[in-house]
Amino acid sequence: MERDLDNANPTILSVSQLPRRSRKGAAPRQGPDSKCDSIVYPKHAWPYGSGLSSDEEDDYREEPMDEQDIYDLISTISDPEHPHTLGQLSVVNLPDIHLSPSPVELPGSDSLVTVLVELTPTINHCSLATVIGLAVRCRLEQTLPPNYRVDVRMKVGSHAQDDQVNKQLGDKERVAAALENDTLRRMVDKMLETCV
Amino acid sequence: MRGIVGSTYLTSITPLPPFTPDLYQRAWCSVPHPTLPLLATAHAKSVTVFSLATLAKHSALTGGHARSVRAVAWQPPRGGGSGGGGWAGQDGGRRKRRRRRLGLVTGSFDATAGMWSFVEGGGGGEDEEEEGGLEREVRFGDDGGLGDGEGEDKEWEFDLVLEGHENEVKGLAFSPGGQYLATCSRDKSVWIWEDVSGGEDVVDGGDDEGEWETVAVLSEHDGDVKAVAWCPSHLPNARARRHHYSADVLASASYDNTVRIWREDADGEWVCVAVLEGHDGTVWGLQWEGRARPDGRFPRLMTFSADGTVKVWTLREEEEEEDNDADGSGRGANPFQSGFGGIPNTMRRSLREEWDCTAVLPKVHSRDVYSVSWSAETGLVASTGGDGVIALYAEDESAPSRGAEAGDAENGTPGPKGNWRVLATVPNAHGPYEINHITWCKRFDPGAEQRGKEEMLVTTGDDGVVRPWQVRI
Repeated sequence: MERDLDNANPTILSVSQLPRRSRKGAAPRQGPDSKCDSIVYPKHAWPYGSGLSSDEEDDYREEPMDEQDIYDLISTISDPEHPHTLGQLSVVNLPDIHLSPSPVELPGSDSLVTVLVELTPTINHCSLATVIGLAVRCRLEQTLPPNYRVDVRMKVGSHAQDDQVNKQLGDKERVAAALENDTLRRMVDKMLETCV
Repeated sequence: MRGIVGSTYLTSITPLPPFTPDLYQRAWCSVPHPTLPLLATAHAKSVTVFSLATLAKHSALTGGHARSVRAVAWQPPRGGGSGGGGWAGQDGGRRKRRRRRLGLVTGSFDATAGMWSFVEGGGGGEDEEEEGGLEREVRFGDDGGLGDGEGEDKEWEFDLVLEGHENEVKGLAFSPGGQYLATCSRDKSVWIWEDVSGGEDVVDGGDDEGEWETVAVLSEHDGDVKAVAWCPSHLPNARARRHHYSADVLASASYDNTVRIWREDADGEWVCVAVLEGHDGTVWGLQWEGRARPDGRFPRLMTFSADGTVKVWTLREEEEEEDNDADGSGRGANPFQSGFGGIPNTMRRSLREEWDCTAVLPKVHSRDVYSVSWSAETGLVASTGGDGVIALYAEDESAPSRGAEAGDAENGTPGPKGNWRVLATVPNAHGPYEINHITWCKRFDPGAEQRGKEEMLVTTGDDGVVRPWQVRI
């Protein structure tokens, strides 16, 4: 049952060490459950429209997202070979998540927001980097509104084949085909099981 | 009306009501039939055919593939017809009564291509034994497409499967005469299949499934081959260099950031005659120029990429090549080129073609350009991509492009040039969603001013919407 792991002894953070929203100042946010609700059941139509008739569109009106929200969505993904989350293994790190432009500044609900997530695989030759990236991209595309464009990359210098992995993860057609591959799909689904 | 959505310089692109029904899932592309008022849209494991007359569903192809259908192509009518550059036309002996047969080919992530036919008058009738696991489900929304309204059975039949690619088929295209089919895949190869069934576009009561043989497997790309396109052969100038090669010219676009041009040489071998390098990202596809050029030159090629750009490439034609040779760049230096001892000069030159990037369209897109359509009618170009923007461009043909004189520009690096300008853009053309495909398409709906002549744009998006757009210049 035990097989050779690519990285047998990763550094693991305890849950209490993971970044979370500080409570002072800003109004407390709702948990991820209710956030998903607002995506699944859109509340209000965006009043300014996009030029197309508004009943033909899915409108997603909700609180603007920030980096911590993105972190919360993906840090709970399980590592494919360790019984820990990507947050605990520091594969996903809050300072490596970038939103542009900030959703607060958006002129309308159709305006694009780019989410850039830079991953730090646990060791240099992590053969599972692509699968981890796929799971992160998949998780974000499933949960974020459709005006978010997700770019998942390996952090510079963190992985031996950065360019190849980055290019694959940025290729919509390859990602779509990968998710139709039963083996990959099962792996990704398993990794996402721990997401709330 | 809602008014003008995207406009600059008096040009307008206004949305028409989308095709019905919505598909409610990512749709990859919508391909108009070359002559009939039909549009085939690939989505999930099936293809929905819409009528351009009613803008509603005409029929569907389901059950043929185990994974998503990524690409669709209509089979050109076989056995003669317009294609001036077609192959040995079997025009003789028009038969008594031919039933019209429509052919469609699908390329799927399941690594196969499927040949389908739609037969009016419900074929032989008997032997309804389904082939292994092939469950057919054909529905008809209306009669708009094939028009006779006889109420006979009409359905798509899955005729045969082309197997050979190792994994996902990503693109396919028929040669203009219909003799060849090219398919391309993530396995980095392009396959050329030849129709060896005799080329009769008839249904003789029974099944005419056609027979296709592999004539070439081209594996020079270093990455997925995303798309293939045949040079149109009906243009007089498209037949240049026939003394070295057959008339058919194929181009392929790849994940390796390059485009390759392929021709069949005198020995029947398909060879790569040029590699077009210049894109800084996956080349998602390509479009040949469909209009004859005023200067009678070879059709140009337009390519579009994940780098957000659209580029135009031009073949350096023979006179210039000879000039270059005469300039003596290395003539003495290369022992194989001197005297009569080496390979004959004409033959050597026939091995390679020089293609120059002669224009880069003004940059509009902030993300991957997934699709471009170059109108064979008007020469206008429309592009779209991951940013959900539609852009419309025109070329000013009055002022000659500086890049056209490739010989003179030899010193400088081929930078951005050409005379293209943006006529209009439409942001958020599918709301917040990505747009995967755009195509020019003849209008046949009642709202058209000139049915069958006037062109509109059709976009296909991740939202499962297939939307026509009226373009006013």
